[in-house]
Amino acid sequence: MTLSAPVTSGDAQGMTIVARTQGQLVRRRFFQHKAAMTGLVVLLAVVVLAFTSVGFGPFGGWWKHGWTTTGRVIDGGAPTLTLWPFSIGEHPFGQDNVGKDYFALVMRGTQQSLLVALLVGLVATSVGTFVGAAAGYFRRRTETALMRLTDVMITIPVLLIAAIVGRMAGGSGILVLGLALGLVIWPQLARLVRGEVLSLREREFIEAARAIGTRPRRIIFKHILPNTLGIIIVSTTLTIASAILVESAISFLGFGVQPPDISLGQLISFYQGAMLTRPWLFWWPGILIITVALSINFIGDGLRDAFDPRQNRVRA
Amino acid sequence: MIAFITRRLMISVFVLLAATIIMYVMTALSGDPLADLRQQTGPNREDQMRVRSERMNLDVPIPIRYLQWLGALITGDLGVNRDGQDVGVILGNALAATLQLVVAATVLAMLIGITVGILSALRQYSGFDYSVTFAAFVAFSLPLFWLAVMLKQYVAIGFNTWLRDPVIDTTVIVVVAIAAGLLWGALTAGSTQARLISFTLGALVTATFLSFLSSTRWFADPGLGTVVIGLIAVASAVGICALFAGLQYRGPLYAALAAAGLGTALHTVLGGVLTDPTWPQLLGLLVLTVGVCVALGYGLGGLLRRQAITTAILTGLVTAGLIFLDALLSAFQAYSQRMRGRPIATIGSNTPNFRGDFWQLTLDSATHIMLPTMALILISMATYSRYSRASMLEVMNQDYVRTARAKGLPERTVIVKHAFRNGMIPITTLMAFDFAGVIGGAVVTESVFGWKGMGQMFRDGLEMVDPAPVMAFFVVTGGAIVVFNMIADIIYAYLDPRIRLS
Amino acid sequence: MGEILDSHGDNRLDVHVGLTLDDVRPPSDEEILRVEDLTVEFPTDDGVVHAVRGVSYVLHQREVLGIVGESGSGKSVSSMAVMGLLPRTARISGRIFFRGEDVLALPQRRRRDLRGKKIAMVFQDPMTALNPVFTIGDQLAEAVLAHELMPRKQALGRAREMLDLVGIPQAEARLRAYPHEFSGGMRQRAMIAMAVINNPDVIIADEPTTALDVTVQAQILEKLIEVKDAVNAAIVLITHDLGVIAGMAHKVLVMYAGKPVEVADTDAIFYSPRMPYTAGLLGSMPSTDTTGHRLRPIKGAPPSLINLPSGCPFSPRCPLADEECVTREPDLALTDALDHRAACHHWPKMKAVEDPTVFFRAESEIQG
Ligand SMILES: Nc1ncnc2c1ncn2[C@@H]1O[C@H](COP(=O)(O)OP(=O)(O)O)[C@@H](O)[C@H]1O
Ligand code: SF4
Ligand SMILES: [Mg+2]
Repeated sequence: MTLSAPVTSGDAQGMTIVARTQGQLVRRRFFQHKAAMTGLVVLLAVVVLAFTSVGFGPFGGWWKHGWTTTGRVIDGGAPTLTLWPFSIGEHPFGQDNVGKDYFALVMRGTQQSLLVALLVGLVATSVGTFVGAAAGYFRRRTETALMRLTDVMITIPVLLIAAIVGRMAGGSGILVLGLALGLVIWPQLARLVRGEVLSLREREFIEAARAIGTRPRRIIFKHILPNTLGIIIVSTTLTIASAILVESAISFLGFGVQPPDISLGQLISFYQGAMLTRPWLFWWPGILIITVALSINFIGDGLRDAFDPRQNRVRA
Repeated sequence: MIAFITRRLMISVFVLLAATIIMYVMTALSGDPLADLRQQTGPNREDQMRVRSERMNLDVPIPIRYLQWLGALITGDLGVNRDGQDVGVILGNALAATLQLVVAATVLAMLIGITVGILSALRQYSGFDYSVTFAAFVAFSLPLFWLAVMLKQYVAIGFNTWLRDPVIDTTVIVVVAIAAGLLWGALTAGSTQARLISFTLGALVTATFLSFLSSTRWFADPGLGTVVIGLIAVASAVGICALFAGLQYRGPLYAALAAAGLGTALHTVLGGVLTDPTWPQLLGLLVLTVGVCVALGYGLGGLLRRQAITTAILTGLVTAGLIFLDALLSAFQAYSQRMRGRPIATIGSNTPNFRGDFWQLTLDSATHIMLPTMALILISMATYSRYSRASMLEVMNQDYVRTARAKGLPERTVIVKHAFRNGMIPITTLMAFDFAGVIGGAVVTESVFGWKGMGQMFRDGLEMVDPAPVMAFFVVTGGAIVVFNMIADIIYAYLDPRIRLS
Repeated sequence: MGEILDSHGDNRLDVHVGLTLDDVRPPSDEEILRVEDLTVEFPTDDGVVHAVRGVSYVLHQREVLGIVGESGSGKSVSSMAVMGLLPRTARISGRIFFRGEDVLALPQRRRRDLRGKKIAMVFQDPMTALNPVFTIGDQLAEAVLAHELMPRKQALGRAREMLDLVGIPQAEARLRAYPHEFSGGMRQRAMIAMAVINNPDVIIADEPTTALDVTVQAQILEKLIEVKDAVNAAIVLITHDLGVIAGMAHKVLVMYAGKPVEVADTDAIFYSPRMPYTAGLLGSMPSTDTTGHRLRPIKGAPPSLINLPSGCPFSPRCPLADEECVTREPDLALTDALDHRAACHHWPKMKAVEDPTVFFRAESEIQG
């Protein structure tokens, strides 16, 4: 079924479902997915907070401290945030040893981590989709070559290859790093897309299109890719979530984001030694990584359920 | 089947070979190996640069360097690092600890993850299922290094401090008991009343148990003792029978109980053999155990001989494991004193220059490997539980499961025999893939726990743009991945006759 | 929707020149299975699915009852309820008596004793109904061992006999084969062997030929009748295709939207249907005596089982529907013949015409 084709109520299962278009169904299922909605709200909140608070590019932020300004260390730099009664205080996330406001630093790190992850997700998705679709559609030699390449890439543990490209690109800024990471994290996605394309390839409507002489490129872009859209969107989301973790892990090892750029992993790595004296320097970036990754994972789960409802869920 | 596995193995080796090209070239290109020297101002700067260039063959183009490395590798030579040390020697020290870590983590993650996944599939949409799902999502979103540091800072140090006066807080007892009760309640199928009973029983038993451990200061000098071993062994015998044969038949139950009884009886006798055993001796004992259990099953099984042998072997293994654990725990107090009361280690893969008998040495490794393993298995465990849950759910909806039920088979057989075997087929594919992830994780974990393991070799090598150690790491771990792939293929072929017979 | 068009109809009635019910022992008066007002509902996220709404029938020893209806009409669900194989979420009411014992009131253990031993089942798709990872012999022997403690060898011996009975050559060697080494027809034979291995009193065959090649469909049906005679069992033969029923069932229950809409002897169903839906099914069935007429599938689709239309559920598709049909749902009531029940306000209109399928012909065809 293409995304826009109406669901007929002919088959035994479909009978119980009121006919809606596929797109409407997907949207409805997604917006009814509680975990995904929670994830979406939390993620949006974090994004808005991170980008407006300390500003981004030419736009200034509303937060009183910058992430580069040092200052007097108050109360050993302890966080002033209290939840009950709620008050933010001067330095809600505390200060580092030279008095930089940690909230500003963490917000800046969140911005950069998010950007890297997004970039990785987009690049990996594009490459993975391209490789997977080409391999799945053309078969024979193209397939063999592309899939062997994928096999080889998959043999190398993600963290190793990421650390190596991080070593190469880390110093050249976060955009280059994101691009480079994206260029090595695509193989999983390529496999997924290929599998999907392979099964679609044998379906009647593709056969029909081929029979009437439609050119391959048109078939891929008009018929096959739209039908793999669900799986691609879901994987992109999950790739972004894991990219956050990969970036933070290699930054922690010292191969990722390099100063003066700041990322969440790099903050943890940088302040690792302060774990005993100023544990909050360690807490906040970790909490933000978990929050962001968890909300994106939930969104991905919601999307997966929305695109691919295996069964009518019955809860009784 | 042999053809299938050989073909897969050949492909894996070639794929690995191709991967070494990518790894080598990218590592060599990842930076300037002379960067640190260029910044030096000392008089012998030029000299040092020349020496290093020569040692690392920097004048030769990278592809040729790769071929040279490959040629040496075939003769078993892993080359030297940029300081001229033999990588093979460095590797030798690091290898055992790292492989122990990744294999232990993988095996544990599989066992726990698959069990949890199956339970959560069988109790789909229960409180247990939702909690497991949520926990898995959290695990997928946890930065491993962060978790590792937390474990190190809070669990290890906290636990060591607590061990000085191992009394469990009442609050802790209450919380743990309620959590245990909730778990049992969630796992129980049926009416609200049945769940309430499970909850209460689970909570009460846990609370009593913990209070007992606390008041006897069990953690200061842990151990099981013959009585506890016997009780647990009998309980496992019954449990294993319930799972694999059904309790209404005598044969399997008697065989399992006999295995439990015999094992427990031997525990009192075996003391001498186990004072300072070696691994081969223990392995021999294990083989002996299995042999005796087969005989027990054969002799007592009656019409259900097959099931009886299975239950006897499993019970025998559990009992053997208990005896091992008991011996290990008995050595704990002495070990703890030698560590000045801080037995859970946070640095390194073993205590340097530590000497002692078998149990002390084993404990030493165990206390070092414990936290890294805990950190490392979390993600894999989550992966396995998600996959096996999905796979079991899929299988439970298959027609042949319905057929099995239609035959009048008990639900236990339907799940343990028909669904489980099919459900595990897709998991084999995950095995090899997940193992690669664990290796990546090991680099991070080792780094946090300050292991002089292979992870550090990789990290330092990459830092210094030095391909030899990086490649040594990759060849060993890649080899391990290939071996895991092969094991996965063998299990796959064993599980699925369509592969085996083609 | 396409179900009826899809069924390969060629020579359907010809296939029954072989073994039919006339060639085996007739049913006795002994009542084996009685289903009373069986209702099954599934709560889902989209609403409650009313899958079965009040099915009743009686099955006597050696009797064959055909259950016919379009896909989704509740045939499988009603028989799964008899087997006790519905998911836990299903809400079941009504009563099911096996040899006078109320099955639904039995504890789980006792129900399992019936399953596979007294009431056995043959499923629609033999390609997926056998477990791919165990041998045929193992799966057959297991059916015996589930109910009787005996040496495995003996159970395997019984399995071999059964494979012989259902006409699988080299039964001994075939015991060690895996399902993927069997053709579709062979697998269905193995399923039949599995069903009869414990000498059941009732065999429920749920579309046993639907997934098979036309060429082997007749053989499988005949085999079913043959083994039924061998073990003295009654059969519930489920199908969406009336053609399968001819010569193979003593009486027929027609289901529509979860309800029985007509119950009668097989001959009465074929020659004097009293419910327009049955007539529609007949009309869409190719047969030797209507050669020259094209297939005429009933227009439209069955209603949603979540939101049922008011009145007669068939009214949106029924050529005889009128005001009354839309407002009041007809009961399954006696019609002109003894033991012939139909759920239709206007059954007399059916009686009035000679060929009731006429209502479903296209206008042009009637004129021409
Ligand atoms: N587990 C279930 N949950 C929800 N609906 C179900 C379930 N099983 C069957 N149904 C619905 O019940 C109706 C009757 O199905 P079934 O008895 O299989 O029809 P058929 O007559 O083709 O055998 C169908 O609409 C089907 O979608
Ligand atoms: S009751 Fe009315 S709508 Fe229903 S079958 Fe009879 S004539 Fe048709
Ligand atoms: Mg059906």
